Amino acid sequence: MKPISLPLPSLRLIQFSLLSFLLVFASCKVQLVSNYDMELSNEINNTAKKVDNFYLTMQEIAADKRQFVNFSTSYIGIEVDLNSLVIKNRVRPLNAESTRIAEITLQLWEKYKEEHKKDNTLSNGLIRLNKKTFSDMFYAMQVAEEGKKVSNSPNP
Amino acid sequence: MPINFNLKDTFDEMLASAKQSAGEGGKEAKGVAKQFLQNRKERLQLLAELRLAGDLPDEKFMSRLEDEKLILEAELKAMAVISKSTAQNTAQSVINIFQSAVIKALPEVLRTTT
Repeated sequence: MKPISLPLPSLRLIQFSLLSFLLVFASCKVQLVSNYDMELSNEINNTAKKVDNFYLTMQEIAADKRQFVNFSTSYIGIEVDLNSLVIKNRVRPLNAESTRIAEITLQLWEKYKEEHKKDNTLSNGLIRLNKKTFSDMFYAMQVAEEGKKVSNSPNP
Repeated sequence: MPINFNLKDTFDEMLASAKQSAGEGGKEAKGVAKQFLQNRKERLQLLAELRLAGDLPDEKFMSRLEDEKLILEAELKAMAVISKSTAQNTAQSVINIFQSAVIKALPEVLRTTT
């Protein structure tokens, strides 16, 4: 396409329009999700490791020694970490999805804790199932956080 | 004085960039969805195994199936983040291309003021 040649008044009008466009859009930044947070990503990893360690340790202990009281401190410690993940996600703008994932993880943690408390033991099968469930939940949490990197990738 | 602004070329460039961004996001989403399905398959296999071995009474089995709904919700939320993130990247790249084409079209004196 050839460059357009225009009389001076029309040219000025177009230049003015282009300049107006730039002034309006110069600071225009599309934001649909919150920015990637490396610190939070590390926190997710650390909590995932704690949960993994918790169930692997429990698996090594004989079934008749898996009374709730022997694990209550660890349950509380991990619940504190999960609460922290919920709060940190909740305060970030445009972060409803990650917040919900953290809330569901906490909800399941509390539910399985109550189950253990009620039964006062946990079978090998349930340990495997709980471990797998949380591993998958942390994977979803990490996918959501890492997914925000896509929006931070360089644009032309 | 000619205006060096080629709308067709600019739109073509915007379209190519949008296709590239959307394509990259789509690939990532596909990989994640595949992993989610694999995880689900493994969990359901384990659930069935525990139920058949008598490790999970019926009430608990049903309760765990309810939990699967929550896990699915979490996985869909994670997919939504990837989609939004891709859309954000696509929209931003398109705006950036248009903006830089407009800046190039402006005379030097106006360009430095923006």
